[in-house]
Order: sequence, then structure tokens, then C-alpha cells
Amino acid sequence: MSIRLQLLLVALATLVLPWAGCQYAGELEAVLRASQENALVASADTMARALSAEPERVFRDQGDPQPFSRDEGDLYAPALHGQPLLDGYQEDWGIAADLEPLPTTTGYAARLQVAATERYLFLYLEVDDPHFMAEGTDVHPEQDRFDRVDLTLQNPGGSLESYFFATAAPGLIEAQSVVRSDDGVDHATVEPRMLAYWLQTSRGYHLEARLPRTLVGRRLWIAVRGEGGAVAGFTGADLMRGGRLFMATSGLDAVLATFIRPGTRATVVDANALKLGAAGTLRSGTPGDNPRPGGSWYRRFVTADTTRWPMQVNSLDRVNGASVTQALGGHSAAEWMRTDGRDLVLVAAAPILIGTETRGAVVLEQAGDQLLELRDRALGRLFNLTLLATLVAVLFAFGIATLISLRIGRLRAAAGSAVGSDGRIRREMPESARADEIGALARAFEGLLARLDEHTQYLRTLGGKLSHELRTPLTIVRSSLDNLESEGVRADQSGFVTRAREGVARLQSILSALGAAARVEEIIKQAERVSFDLKALLSSAVAGYRDAFSGRRIELTAPPDECSLRGAPDLIAQLLDKLVENAVDFCPPGGTIDVRLIRAGSHYELSVINDGPPIPPQILERLFESLFEQRTGRDEKPHFGLGLYIVRLIAEFHGGKASAGNAQGRGAEFTIVLPLI
Amino acid sequence: MKKQIAIVEDEPALRENYSAALSRHGYGVKTYANRRTAMQAFGTRLPDLVIIDIALEDEAEGGFDLCRDLRALSAELPLIFLTARDSELDAVSGLRLGADDFLTKDVSLPHLAARVAALFRRIDALRRPERAANVVRTGALAIDGETMQSTWKGVPVTLSLTEFWIVHALARHPGHVKNRQQLMDAANVVLDDQTITSHIKRVRRKFVEIDAAFDAIQTVYGMGYRWIE
Repeated sequence: MSIRLQLLLVALATLVLPWAGCQYAGELEAVLRASQENALVASADTMARALSAEPERVFRDQGDPQPFSRDEGDLYAPALHGQPLLDGYQEDWGIAADLEPLPTTTGYAARLQVAATERYLFLYLEVDDPHFMAEGTDVHPEQDRFDRVDLTLQNPGGSLESYFFATAAPGLIEAQSVVRSDDGVDHATVEPRMLAYWLQTSRGYHLEARLPRTLVGRRLWIAVRGEGGAVAGFTGADLMRGGRLFMATSGLDAVLATFIRPGTRATVVDANALKLGAAGTLRSGTPGDNPRPGGSWYRRFVTADTTRWPMQVNSLDRVNGASVTQALGGHSAAEWMRTDGRDLVLVAAAPILIGTETRGAVVLEQAGDQLLELRDRALGRLFNLTLLATLVAVLFAFGIATLISLRIGRLRAAAGSAVGSDGRIRREMPESARADEIGALARAFEGLLARLDEHTQYLRTLGGKLSHELRTPLTIVRSSLDNLESEGVRADQSGFVTRAREGVARLQSILSALGAAARVEEIIKQAERVSFDLKALLSSAVAGYRDAFSGRRIELTAPPDECSLRGAPDLIAQLLDKLVENAVDFCPPGGTIDVRLIRAGSHYELSVINDGPPIPPQILERLFESLFEQRTGRDEKPHFGLGLYIVRLIAEFHGGKASAGNAQGRGAEFTIVLPLI
Repeated sequence: MKKQIAIVEDEPALRENYSAALSRHGYGVKTYANRRTAMQAFGTRLPDLVIIDIALEDEAEGGFDLCRDLRALSAELPLIFLTARDSELDAVSGLRLGADDFLTKDVSLPHLAARVAALFRRIDALRRPERAANVVRTGALAIDGETMQSTWKGVPVTLSLTEFWIVHALARHPGHVKNRQQLMDAANVVLDDQTITSHIKRVRRKFVEIDAAFDAIQTVYGMGYRWIE
């Protein structure tokens, strides 16, 4: 893994900051939520105590120990705001709840909605009965000859009375009360205070009725009758079961309105959790007030998962929720709920205690969005800041890493090329002036290279020095032998002198070979360039080699015309000497040595190819280095790895290049490229 | 009377060997280890020939200084450098200072003796006004084997002894290729190829100084050199 990647990973670790921020924000939110809960519960408690001080404004009726039961026929009439028009349509009631289906055993479908104003009780019925049976003249309530709606009520005086709505034609009608006369026959009498509008529809009919509350007491049973004994509704009047009428306390809304703060909704429920009054609206109800673009996506990162909260049911008659149940059990409580619009609502409920009896509860609702918004804003800023910090850290780390890897790369490249192909050592390293660790590394490299260079320099000059220093003692030996011979040696001793001379000659050739490179370097310094014909030089030289190395075939291939070159012919001849000598050393007896000259555009290519073994590829690069010698076998001639080095020196003097390779199907091939200039 | 030869050489063993060899050839030999003692002696009496090493004890170029001093005393005194230093630069410097020959210590004692003899012969020949001319003429070149003098188009060419012998060997058989070994034998010297090459180069330059069109010595690469007319 590159340094850049490593530092990038380190920089990415700063991403833990947003995460920690989210955790912190989550905790902060929990604290805020708890404090909001406490505040709302306190408000609810206060309201509940205030309301319990004047129970008559809250509870118009005495408490009933029997719980509210819709199945038994108990009715709840929510408060209507404003007076609806009697027109057979319910739309103007302003109540968004569904109608309640009436129980039936005969499959006769009817749905009911009850509501109340200060003075009237309103009924709205939808009856599915496509066969309209008009009311005849001979009215008898017990007969089922026409469609009708029966109302049985316990008037405020406590006695039961029966009314019914029926009509010969749709439109505004009056109720008829059934009065049993003394002769035991029931008669229908018009009750003009009870009005209704009968609206015929394709499915059946709608009935919107208005009853004065002065006529209606605590109980009311409603039944719908159709053709052939079809009936739906409640007929428990005889048993005095069900049919209880529960109503919102009139005037309570206004009382509550004085308590509440904006954005809060207060509801008072009785012991049955039925609404007695309500005031205020939730802020979240107003559209366009809470657009939080981009805010919501932060929530995915934090724990605020609204789906775990219970759904608030927007019910006409009741307030649901655990907190309400708990309050009706006598304890204040708060909970978070969500509306079907996914908005958060905080619900707090406090019991209204009359004496020790819990007669009802105050339910306060407050939009939770403010809190979310607060948190989202904080989170958003936190996110943005930490993301920015991360970005800066990543960029910074990336930059530093790039810089470092660039510098190391430079150092690596310099180290890789410190020892040039000519074996010379470049001591300078980049970065060595810097004070940091990379600088120290570069300086260490420089120290190392300096020592290596000194050593190499020493080795390079060693040959020349040796050949120079050994010359005097060698001369002493030889001149002594000369003297010895001149003085006269006995015949039996002359063998020793001869051997000593041979040894001296060998030493001499060794020294000469050792100093050869140094001498060539010196000659190159003083060499002069002249124009000459390279081809003529080659032909003459090859002719000489054929005489000298008769054991090998030496072939020359050259362009037909003159090959003019500007340079030092003696040096070129020496270069060729070295190459051919080298080829002869490796070429088996009887083999062929090819000397080729090719004119290729702006340069000549001079190659010498032999039939010897190929050169191992791994040493090709180093062949032309000074003191590089691979020949390990014993040989009559000493080899110091200077021959090809001299070749390279001469090639470079001519602005050319020496290279080695293996010819296809042949042995080694040495090629010298010489620019034409 | 014996010819007096002075050897200035700081290496005692070599000094003794050279001295013994030259004495055997009938010369009177005096040896000196450094420039100071040599100059003291030369101030009194000049020898007939001086053989000088370049590096003398602590003076790396003491031989050159000595040569300069001697040339100030006498322009004709034959002078040979005999040194372990074989660089081209040293040879050029030595010859420019007026040395008659520049030999490396690779030279064998018989060869050294031959050179000494040759130098004396040249001096004698020069001193003898009437002599049998032993002059080889090849084109514009006139070469006198006796006095070891050569002229090109009548202009004397100042060659060192080695150079003279090389030219002599080449010019005697114009058109024949002489390889390096043959040239070395002719010059009574053991040299490596490079040194022969630089000798040839020096010879050419000396002729070119006289005649810019000089082109008589041809290199036959891989073989040697030849004189062409």
C-alpha cells in the first residue's frame, strides 16, 4: 500500500467526528425531549387542577359508572361549530369522521352520525334502500308499509317518548310523535320542533335531522325501518339499555382556549376518554411552515426513527394513546406519537380529579417538529463542519503524502541511477538539503555513495598505480638479469636466467594490461579528430587480423562506397583490436568472426559477431564497466576487465555508444554506434 | 680517453645496474642520487652524456629541472631521459626540453648501451667535417644514418633518437609495411603499441611543421606503418 493511500486512510479516520457528533446530537435530543415532556406534563397538570376547581363547567352530567359502549347503542355527539343547513348533506358539519354503521340483523344497511350545538342535536343518516316506500295516509307505526326512522328518547322529565320521520315525498319534513290514545290506538301527531330533510338518492335516502336539546334527555335510541320488516339500529329502549347520549360540554372549548399557548392543542376527555372539549391547533397542521430540505436525510444517520412511535388516531370522539389511559388511571404521563402525516406530536395527559375520583383528563398536544428542526439544524451544521474538516484533513493528508512520495520517488530514482552505466558514481542526492528524515536518508545515501565512489576511484586507479609502482622494482630485476648475462653465466645456470626473464616478461605484460585503460584515457584527452575512411581502416585492419589469427575466419561486410568518419583513426583501430581480440578469445578454432559496418541514417553501426557461447543476459549491462571481468578460466593472458571498458571510452569519445547482445543463432555480438558528424 | 657518462637516478639498485652495464661497455660512469649533487659535479666538469630520471628523491620533476639547467650550461650535451613514467605528456615535455631521447625503464641494458653508443656516434660524426656520406634519399627525405640527422626538402627535422630510428626503418624500404615489433626492434626499444602510435604521431607532427602537405607515413591498420613516396 502506497504512502499516499495509507495517509488517506488515516485522514478518513476523521470521519468518526460526524459519527460522534450524531451520537452527541442524539443524546442532546433525548434530553431536550425529556424536558419538553416535563414542561408539557406540567402544563397539563396545571390545566387539570384549574379545571377541577370548577367541575360544573367541565362536566355537565353526573358521572356514570357504566363505561361508554357504542355497541350497546351509546351515542357520542361531538360539538359542532356553527349551525349546519338542513339539506340532506353532511359536508357542512365540518366533521371529517366516518359515519357509524348501525347494527342490523336483517341486512338493512344504515349509517349514523350524531353531533350537537348549544341548542340542537343533529342526526345524519344514510340508508341503503333503493325501494322508496312513501308514507301513506293511514299512519300506523307498527306497520312496516313505508320507510321510516324511529326515534325513542327519554325526555328530560325521564319518560320515554317515540317519534318517527317518514314522508310521502322527499324534502323538509317534521317528526311525528306517536301518541297512544285512550282507545288504545296509536296516532301520529306532528312535532314541528323536530325538523328533518329527506333526500332521495340512487342508493336510498339521506336524512338530516335537527332535534331541540330541550326535548332530548339523557337517552336516545335510533332505528331505521324499511320494507318487509327490515330494520337497523338500536331498539333497547324497552330494557333501558344503551342509548345513552354523551355530548361535548358546551362552553368548554372557550374555557380551554384561555389556557392554551399557540401551537398547542388542549383536549378534555371524560372518564370514558370521550372528548368534552378541545381548543387550539398544532403548528404542524399548517402547511408550508416546516420545509426542511436536506434536513431529513441526516435523520438516517441518527436514531430518531419515528416509526417506532405509536400512530395518533385522528378520532372524532376520543383521544387515544397510552398517556390518556394512564391519566384516566390517575397519573400524569407523556408520550410521543406520530400523525398519519408523519409529523411528531408530543402528547401529555393529566387526570382531572374531583375529590379522589378521576372524572376525566386534560390532554395537551404539541408539535414535536420544533425539536426535530432544532436537532436537524444542529446536526446539519455539525455535519457540514465536520465534513469540511474531514475534507480539509483528507486533502491535507493527500497533499503531504503526495509530497512525501514524490520526494521518496525522487530519492529512489536518484539512488537507482547513482551508479551510471559507465560505472561512474554520482554522489549528489536530491533532498539532501532538507532537515527532515528524508533529508537525513538522502545524506546517508550521499555518505554511502561518497565512500563507494572513493573505493571505486581507488580501484580504477589501482591498475595504473600498480603498473607504475611496480615498474621500478621490475626494472631492477631485469637490469640485474641483463648484467648477470653480460657478466657471463655458466651454461648450467642459464636456464634459471631464462626462466627469470620469462617471469619478468609475464609480469611486464600484466603491468601493461593493468595500465592500459589509464593510458587510453590519457590518449583520449589529447586525441585529435581527423576525417578518415572508416571502411578503408576496417579493410586494412581485418587483413591484419587474418594474418594474426589464422585459426579463425574473419569476414568483413561493409557498404560499397567510402564511409567517411571524423574521429581518431588510431583509437578506432584500437577499439577494433579489442573487439576482435575479445571475439577471438571466445570464438572456437575454425569459427567465424564477422565484422560488419552498416550506414544507418545519421550513424554507422559497427558490429563484431563471433561463434562463441552467448553472453548470459544478466551481465550484458555490465560488460562495458571498468574492471568487470567474468572470465574465470585460466588463460595465458591476464584479463582485468578493461578491454571492453576501453572500447566504451573510445566509442564515447566519438559521441557513440557501445552495446552487447547475442546474435540470432550465433554467439556474442558487440555493436558500436558512431554518429556521422 | 673514456667517455664520461653521468647517471642521475635516485634508486640505488638501478643506479648500480646501469653503472655496471655501461662500465662494461667501456664508459666511465659517475652516478648521482639527486639534482643537487649532480649539479655540483657538473659545475666542475661536464660529462660527455647524461642519463636522467625524472623523479629524483623528493623532487617529482627534478629531472626536468636538471635538464633545463644542463641545457643552459651546454646546448650540445647529449641527454637521455630514462624514467618509469611513460605518459605521453612526460615524453613530450622531456623532448621539448632538448633531450635527445626519452626512454622508459622497460628498455633493456643492451638497448640502453646501443642508444648511448648511437648518440656518441652521432656526435662524432657531426664533429668530423669530412665524412663518407651515408645518406638515404627517399623523395624529399634525406636521412643520414651516420649523423642520425634527417632533412625534409632540405630542412633539418629534429628527431629524437627513437624517432630517428623509426623514420629510418620506414624510409629505408618505402612501400613496405613495418609492424610495430619491427619498428621497436629498429629503435632498440621495447614499447607497447600505444607508445609506438604516439611516436609515429609525434614524427608526423614534426614533418608537418615543416611541410603542411606531408603525408608520407601511412598507417596500415591492423598491421603497422609504411613510408610512401
